[in-house]
Amino acid sequence: MQTRIIAKLEVKPPYVVKPVMFEGLRKVGMIKDLMAKYFEQGSDEIAYIDIVASLYRRDILFDSILDGSKDLYIPLGVGGGIRDIDDISKLIHSGADKVIINTHLLAEDPNLINEASSVFGKQAIVVNIEAKKTDNDWICYTDGGKIASNRYVLEWVKEVEQRGAGEILLQSIDCDGVEKGFDLELCKKVVDSVNIPVVVSSGAGSLEDIKEVIEYAKPSGVALSSILHHNSFTIQDIKNYLRKNNIKVSK
Amino acid sequence: MKNKVGIVDYGLSGNVYNIQKAIEKAGGIVYVIDNIEDFNKIDKIVIPGVGNFKDAIWELKQKDLITPLIENINTKPTLGICLGMQLLSTFGYESSKTDGLKIINAKVVPLNVDEVIPHVGFNKIDKIKDSKILNGLEDEEFYFMHSYEMLNFHDVAATTTYCEHQFVSAVEKGDVFGVQFHPEKSREAGIKLFENFLNI
Repeated sequence: MQTRIIAKLEVKPPYVVKPVMFEGLRKVGMIKDLMAKYFEQGSDEIAYIDIVASLYRRDILFDSILDGSKDLYIPLGVGGGIRDIDDISKLIHSGADKVIINTHLLAEDPNLINEASSVFGKQAIVVNIEAKKTDNDWICYTDGGKIASNRYVLEWVKEVEQRGAGEILLQSIDCDGVEKGFDLELCKKVVDSVNIPVVVSSGAGSLEDIKEVIEYAKPSGVALSSILHHNSFTIQDIKNYLRKNNIKVSK
Repeated sequence: MKNKVGIVDYGLSGNVYNIQKAIEKAGGIVYVIDNIEDFNKIDKIVIPGVGNFKDAIWELKQKDLITPLIENINTKPTLGICLGMQLLSTFGYESSKTDGLKIINAKVVPLNVDEVIPHVGFNKIDKIKDSKILNGLEDEEFYFMHSYEMLNFHDVAATTTYCEHQFVSAVEKGDVFGVQFHPEKSREAGIKLFENFLNI
């Protein structure tokens, strides 16, 4: 099985931004430019997450997605502020292949997973986890890492799988943007808890970090942002390095 | 070149937009098929694929498109993508047993893998026979995103292996084609596949 390498774009339209530990917003560039750049570098997918839509309770900005995805010939996942079936349908008609949902599920109604999965197929429904470490466990957060829920990550991921989620995007609030490596235990425990694909994110600062999390946790994919935004490595550099280390990746 | 392509719109879940832009990139002119008259405008048919077998057939019935679609598939080159390929089968077993379009003698069953499902990501195809639609694409990778597979023995054009399980990833019967992967999400290789389709 090939490990997917995915560019994760945290978006505050019209910009791609990069927070550290979900705080502070450094501008990285324009949405369309960065989508094109990572597509050309060989990204297997793009994950587009509007990181302020839920927090501000504002609607999804469909135009920025349509415009950005015009020349994209790889899958696009879109998240941020999704509240109902109608939002999902509009996103899929605006060029999204899958939707990435978190806040509404924990703050309002987890049944959206069941409904959406039966309408759009489970492969189109990605549940985003914003995990924060407590003493011996991890708690799910919402609203771009701002608000704690009352759910534990390792229980919640099993529930979302049962409800029909087709994939998990796992982010760690503690590690995201810090570039000092992944939360390896979190990644491994989530991958081992479910039989749906898990894409791990948050923490890659070096090529070794990416290799380490793939070998240790065996995720279906790795979503990267800071390490790509610095331009020290292209996606193709990362894939070449992984191939040399006997990790299967796509062309 | 017969390049007027009609994409069948079956409602809520179809990914018409992505397929449209990939066909246009390959040099096609796209129409959306929403009713029986729309078939008069086109040379070729694409059946897109996102969603659920049973719901997709139900949507086609609501739009009175089942019979005209089958008639037109018999006279126009047709490409089914992912669920669109599966709909060409005799039966589907997603949600419950549902009649398909019965163009290809096949049934659609859950992917027979006990590891991670759905199968998501780029993967290779192994060509089984000479294929008009896969011409020049022998060594390429395509993007997959599915939990069900088509079982067929007569019309297999290519197979793919996921977690040591080999499944049908492309079928070809005359000028009817089906691909389990998403060419519209498969970089340049996918555009080339649409070019092959336009050239038929």
